[in-house]
Amino acid sequence: MSDASASPDLERSQGIERIRDRTYGGFFVVCALITVLTTIAIFLTLLSDSVAFFSEVSIADFLTGLHWSPNPTGGGSDFGAVPLFVGTLVVTATAAFVALPIGTLTAIYLSEYATPRARSILKPMLEVLAGIPTVVYGYFALVYVTPALKATLFPSISTFNALSASLMVGIMTIPMVSSISEDAMSAVPDELRQAGYGLGATKFEVSTGIVVPAAISGIASSYILAISRAIGETMVVVVAMGAQANLPAVRDGLAGIPYVHPGDVLLDPGMTMTVAMVQIAGGDLTGGSLPYDAMFALGLTLFAVTLVMNVVSDLVANRYREEY
Amino acid sequence: MSIERSEPTFGRVSRLKGTVFEYLSLGASVTGIVALGVLLIYVAIDAFDLVNASPEWLLTYYVTLVLPLIGFCLYSANDRSLIRRTAFALGGGLVAMALTFSVVESFVRPIPRLTWQVAYLFVVVAPVTAYVVFVGSREPIGRTGFGLVGRVLGGTALGLSLIILFTVFDERLWFLAYTLGVLPAVGVLAYSRVNPSSPVSLLPVPVALVGFVAASVLRGPVDVYPTAWLIYVWTLVVPVSAIIAGLTAQRDGETKQTAAIAGVAAFALIGGGSLAAGSLGVSSEHALLVLLGSGVPTVMFGRRVVASDTGRVGLFLPVLLVGGALAGALIAESFGFPAPDPWLDASFVTSSPSRMPERAGLYPAIVGSVLVIAFVALLSFVLGVGSAVFLEEYTVESGVVGATTRLIQINIANLAAVPSVVYGLLGLGLFANLLGLGFGSVVTAALTLSLLILPITVISAQEAIRSVPDHLRQGSYAMGATRWQTTKNVVLPEALPGIFTGTILALGRAIGETAPLIMIGAAHTVFSPPNGIWSKISAMPMQIFVWSDFPQAEFRYGVLAAGVVTLLIVLLGMNATAIILRNKYESGV
Amino acid sequence: MATNGKADTSSEEETETIISTAIETGESRDRGPTESPRTVVTARDLDVYYGQERALDGVDIEIPENRVTAIIGPSGCGKSTFLRCINRMNDGIDACRVDGELRFHGTDVYDQGIDPVALRRKIGMVFQKPNPFPKSIYDNVAYGLRVQGRAGEVDLDAAVERALRSAALWDEVKDQLDSSGLDLSGGQQQRLCIARAIAPDPEVILMDEPASALDPIATAKVEDLIDDLAEEYTVVIVTHNMQQAARISDRTAVFLTGGELVEFDDTAKVFENPDHDRVEDYITGKFG
Repeated sequence: MSDASASPDLERSQGIERIRDRTYGGFFVVCALITVLTTIAIFLTLLSDSVAFFSEVSIADFLTGLHWSPNPTGGGSDFGAVPLFVGTLVVTATAAFVALPIGTLTAIYLSEYATPRARSILKPMLEVLAGIPTVVYGYFALVYVTPALKATLFPSISTFNALSASLMVGIMTIPMVSSISEDAMSAVPDELRQAGYGLGATKFEVSTGIVVPAAISGIASSYILAISRAIGETMVVVVAMGAQANLPAVRDGLAGIPYVHPGDVLLDPGMTMTVAMVQIAGGDLTGGSLPYDAMFALGLTLFAVTLVMNVVSDLVANRYREEY
Repeated sequence: MSIERSEPTFGRVSRLKGTVFEYLSLGASVTGIVALGVLLIYVAIDAFDLVNASPEWLLTYYVTLVLPLIGFCLYSANDRSLIRRTAFALGGGLVAMALTFSVVESFVRPIPRLTWQVAYLFVVVAPVTAYVVFVGSREPIGRTGFGLVGRVLGGTALGLSLIILFTVFDERLWFLAYTLGVLPAVGVLAYSRVNPSSPVSLLPVPVALVGFVAASVLRGPVDVYPTAWLIYVWTLVVPVSAIIAGLTAQRDGETKQTAAIAGVAAFALIGGGSLAAGSLGVSSEHALLVLLGSGVPTVMFGRRVVASDTGRVGLFLPVLLVGGALAGALIAESFGFPAPDPWLDASFVTSSPSRMPERAGLYPAIVGSVLVIAFVALLSFVLGVGSAVFLEEYTVESGVVGATTRLIQINIANLAAVPSVVYGLLGLGLFANLLGLGFGSVVTAALTLSLLILPITVISAQEAIRSVPDHLRQGSYAMGATRWQTTKNVVLPEALPGIFTGTILALGRAIGETAPLIMIGAAHTVFSPPNGIWSKISAMPMQIFVWSDFPQAEFRYGVLAAGVVTLLIVLLGMNATAIILRNKYESGV
Repeated sequence: MATNGKADTSSEEETETIISTAIETGESRDRGPTESPRTVVTARDLDVYYGQERALDGVDIEIPENRVTAIIGPSGCGKSTFLRCINRMNDGIDACRVDGELRFHGTDVYDQGIDPVALRRKIGMVFQKPNPFPKSIYDNVAYGLRVQGRAGEVDLDAAVERALRSAALWDEVKDQLDSSGLDLSGGQQQRLCIARAIAPDPEVILMDEPASALDPIATAKVEDLIDDLAEEYTVVIVTHNMQQAARISDRTAVFLTGGELVEFDDTAKVFENPDHDRVEDYITGKFG
């Protein structure tokens, strides 16, 4: 035995290993802090130029103005973002119309009906949907989906339109809905299902009457995330939807009630917030001009909306999670 | 619930609604997949001009290339029922596809630009082939064959990436950086292995940094350099040969002598091979890099297979494939079968963009993508693993540090949901304008995309680290190891395959991102590859975006399709690597 | 040592005879001079809390040098907690709080200036589940010397061989030192872990139910090994198997529910004539 002295040497040494441990620890802390710095940097970058923008254009004009025509040469430009909000809303709603039901049904199938083998094949294939670059989806919408729609259902559809872009955004977000919802459904304890079967319920009744309500917080949270993803989606709409910031025409209905024809919205070009940003970026990047600042104001809006939705989604998921 | 009244005792509960629902949800599950599949078939048809492929041409390659491949897999799998099922699927699929097409075309409407032969290839042959390859590659013969082909292909891709990196970067700077930085640092590392308690062991990283600085300072004044070939030999072939010798020495039952022989053999193979290629008119530098990437792993794998008893027949798979392709070409040529004229061919990936569709190419964009991804890989790996190690190994749950950790964790989750276009604004406002790193430069693009995928790399690295069993950590701490020693010796080696898998998947996301590149002002069209980290670049998705604005049909249905397929093939290669890596280490443990 | 490795703990009637046999054989063992040995680890009024929950309640104990000290008690009595206090392995658990005094050769282990890493280099540990690193057998045994920065000072090959011989594993693995430690059987893995623990030559070896995951034959080998180790090291072993404690230990500490050390005495005394009725109830299987 080496050292059996009465007071062993256990003091904190300043040995090599200790220095090394400390150095690497410091490095890891810096790495982790960079993730925080990223958020701060995003926020400050967006804020500084937005402040410049809102000193020229009032927030009210930006949020309620009906005309969007940023003119890079300056003078006579309009920064009313309502047409962009409408465009974003149309794409998001149409995409949600595709992704939410399909995603939910997929989640139910995967969690309740599919054999392990079917699940092991379907799940990676669904992930592929989310892994395809968005510019490729835009290309599909422009080159294949729009002509197909023109040849079959909507002969009047224009080359750039909201419908085919939205369909692609919808397909792209299916896995987001399905994977989070499936996690929530799989987390429903089996005892609840057994209780349902014990009462003589069929598998259909257990799935829709017990599992889905029990997993509703997870499902809702997945919806919010998918919608938030659709709001921020850029390349599909840039490539396939065109860039005309028009409000749809309001028609007079038969009973005198004005209405907006869905065809005017979906089959024609439109512009989302993201498209507007890309359009400005195509012309002016050096900074200092009003359109440049407008880009950051739109970015800040987008950042705020997606952040709020993400936080809400977290709250929804956490709020009901403790039930079982 | 509707109860039929015919049964006297219990009655029967109708399952009709449930059955309908089950099939409805199954249909929903495959909707997106089928839609994407159809679109992918069409883009492949356009990229490879399969509309103009004659049935005879398709049949020729089907017989010379695809059927032998399937035969090889079936031979490897050695399973009678699989042979029956494969034959049934291929034959039945043929009949079914022909029937479906004739029914649809005569009663509904003609299917545009898709013949039943091509549809048969994509809908029946491709999945069947994928399945038998999957099954066959799990048996020794298939594992050998596909392992060899995979190493040749992957190694060649690696070698080509090196060539691309060296066309952009100055190999003389690399020569100085290697000689002054890498080599001394490795020396210090080796010394501290032997004398771990000496203060020298703290120095490798500082030594390397000093060396790099010295290299960049000396690059200007120093005027005499070896040739590029010698630089590659000195900086790449020598260390690789040394590593091979070292690995051989560590293996069971290998003497120091065999190890030395292995090292010398590797050196001779690459050096001699590249010189031989040089005498054949190929650039000997390029040959060296490709041999380095593909030759070394291939030969090492082949040697291991030959030394073992099982699956040696699999080594003939490359011969089978190359022979099949040659035979197919020969037959198609001699019978004059009308062949397609694919948009995606060698000239497409080696020429610059052009206004004329038949001359347009993707080369500068490919170089831009490779360059950016190389930097993103480096940055996001270091940052991602560093953050994950802090969050999993170094942090504590309580106190200020604990609260900060929770904040970081929430923040990472939220960062993952920030739209990519917003990261583009960050890159534009911070890196391009405020820090002046250049609009659309390699540096700006790499930093922006690294931050974009950072949340994904951190989260996946955390999962990989968390999956390392705790009893290994306990064992290490109980031996008096520090946190860093435990992390380095026990946690990271176990977590590394998972970390690599997650990082590669995240890089797949980065390589397809377009919106941030537009925002930071990446070039719409560049005609020559970048010549440094400050030059303005394009990238594959960026070029696709630019082309999508061209109204001509040749661009829409030709050049664009070829660009999309190239991007998807690169993505597929990366994801396949990630999956193979994961499966290999999951089954290995 | 004539151990009965296949002892069936479930049968109450057998229990007593087995224990008495074990003690008889244990008494025939000679462990150096009979005068009282030096104390290595001393606990005074040691309390441990996990959050609000008290895991140890005022423990007083003196662990003698070069002896095997067994710690027994029912599940959840805090015996593993106590063991992990000695080399501060509880530091990794944030909610864990330690009050009172725990001295190693008179130095307070929980003093501000004490480096737990340095402490663990003097006190090795063997865990319940064999946990060899996914490295070669050689690298496993050399791990401690390497991380402690002593690989350059000692002859590593000799140290590895010595540790493997002490762990009675050398003859079984000497031809496959480069193969993975995970290729060994469960019992061999545990002896490899013991070799790993003794290779850096610690003073104390803590063992947390080292045989509970092993089959009877492997258990017997490990028990023999522990007996040999006491010639050179101070061994503290937690076990839920009373026969094992009786067979291999010189001193036995009995913890009962609530984290209280109820009895600590010579093993023979504890098993034959305990001072406390609760301990007797526990040992004879009436409780626990």
